Amino acid sequence: MDNYLLSLFQLCDSNLPTGAFSHSFGLETYIQENKVHDKDSFSQWLRMYLSGQLIYTDGLACRLVYEALERNDMDAIWTLDRKITMQALPRETREGTHKMGERMLTIGYDLYPSPTLSLYKEKIKNEEAFGHPAIVFTAIAHQLQVPQNVIVSTYLYSSISSLTQNAVRGIPLGQTAGQYILRDIQQWITKAVETIETMDVDDFGAVAPGLEISQMKHERVHIRIFMS
Amino acid sequence: MLRLSMEKKRNKTVTKQVYFQGAFKMLRPHYFDNTGQACFFLINPGGGYVDGDRYRMEITLEEEAELILTTQSATKVYKTPHTPVVQENIIHLKKDSILEYIPDALIAYREAKYKQNTVIQMERGATLFYSDILTPGWSPDGEWFQYDLLQLKNEIYLDGQLILFDHLKLQPLEDGVDGIGYLEGYTHLGSMIIISEQVTSDVVQRLYDEVEKDFSDCKVGLSLMNEGGFTVRILAHSTQKIEELLASCSAFLRKEWYDRAPVALRKY
Repeated sequence: MDNYLLSLFQLCDSNLPTGAFSHSFGLETYIQENKVHDKDSFSQWLRMYLSGQLIYTDGLACRLVYEALERNDMDAIWTLDRKITMQALPRETREGTHKMGERMLTIGYDLYPSPTLSLYKEKIKNEEAFGHPAIVFTAIAHQLQVPQNVIVSTYLYSSISSLTQNAVRGIPLGQTAGQYILRDIQQWITKAVETIETMDVDDFGAVAPGLEISQMKHERVHIRIFMS
Repeated sequence: MLRLSMEKKRNKTVTKQVYFQGAFKMLRPHYFDNTGQACFFLINPGGGYVDGDRYRMEITLEEEAELILTTQSATKVYKTPHTPVVQENIIHLKKDSILEYIPDALIAYREAKYKQNTVIQMERGATLFYSDILTPGWSPDGEWFQYDLLQLKNEIYLDGQLILFDHLKLQPLEDGVDGIGYLEGYTHLGSMIIISEQVTSDVVQRLYDEVEKDFSDCKVGLSLMNEGGFTVRILAHSTQKIEELLASCSAFLRKEWYDRAPVALRKY
């Protein structure tokens, strides 16, 4: 068994206290508008979230951070940290991701300390960086010598899995339905990883406009169980 | 290629340098009122944009210069089977200058591929109103044409630091026109970016309350940026709807910040 496997399970576990359980990233707006209301409509939404937003932002960021770490180009990481933060136009999505990034960095540094994480913490403290979970996750996994494609796929799975748990609570769906969704999405995650491998750096940060507007509209959703 | 720089001389914004070659042209500046704010109309290439065309626009506003930049008509992108049309915009806004960029819609016809890269460098104190409207072309038999790709990127820097990165990539054939998350059954997409030291959550909330009554038959999002600005994104069924909403936003802020009347572009 690879040495990193169990550590990777721990990083992807929804019990890792990053606050992912309180963010829906626009899903709650769709739930309130009754556009997402059952297993099928959520599955469709989730595939869109993966291929319309996640691969261009967090997914591609994982790859780019990995490549930067391989060539020891720390400046590329700080540039990306700013770019991925400023790319999120919806305030709640930006602030929620930022908060998750900081929390993952705090716990990640305690559990798996490394010079990269130490530098990242320092940069954030000096307000020279923001903090993003995809960057923190990749930095930890790179240190654990996890291969790049495994980092990308496990990061995507972990994001998708958190959102699915949130959907089970928020829509609501049965626990078993949630597990079916998580099984069925795996083939799409595999495809997404392949897409990210061959993606042009120029593709970074593309958004799906309907989703982005729903993420903005969430600020004005009155009765809510999620912060984004 | 078009290069324009404007400066303020005795309460009036005047042309410091203007240069154009190729398809781009522009008329002399207009002055709509006694505020000294200049307005330029860009004249698009008559035949529209076709395969492999590359255009570049450079705009500089010196300190305190105030400019409205618009187009005389819609920008049309025709069939581009091979190389996408590329438009590059470079904008420099020096301290206390104001740019209101209000182009007509960009219309993409069947098999059109268009990429636009805009880089805006601002100095603290400068103000930007920036808008974009993207629409599909209308075929003679009453169907919307399906374009291949519209990809627009905006990078905005404040004193050299990136404060906004906006990347829209629309491929309706690939992503589906009706699909949740993408165009959601709408055809037209409008965006507005407002950057000013005067942006506060209170102003944005009051603006929202003012324009919310017109949100029928469209999907609208407004959100504050990390610092000194906010963005508006609109999905709708017509250019007119988006123009009206964006004009309301602009009118509200012009009144609020400068006690000025709405921009009246008498084009037609």
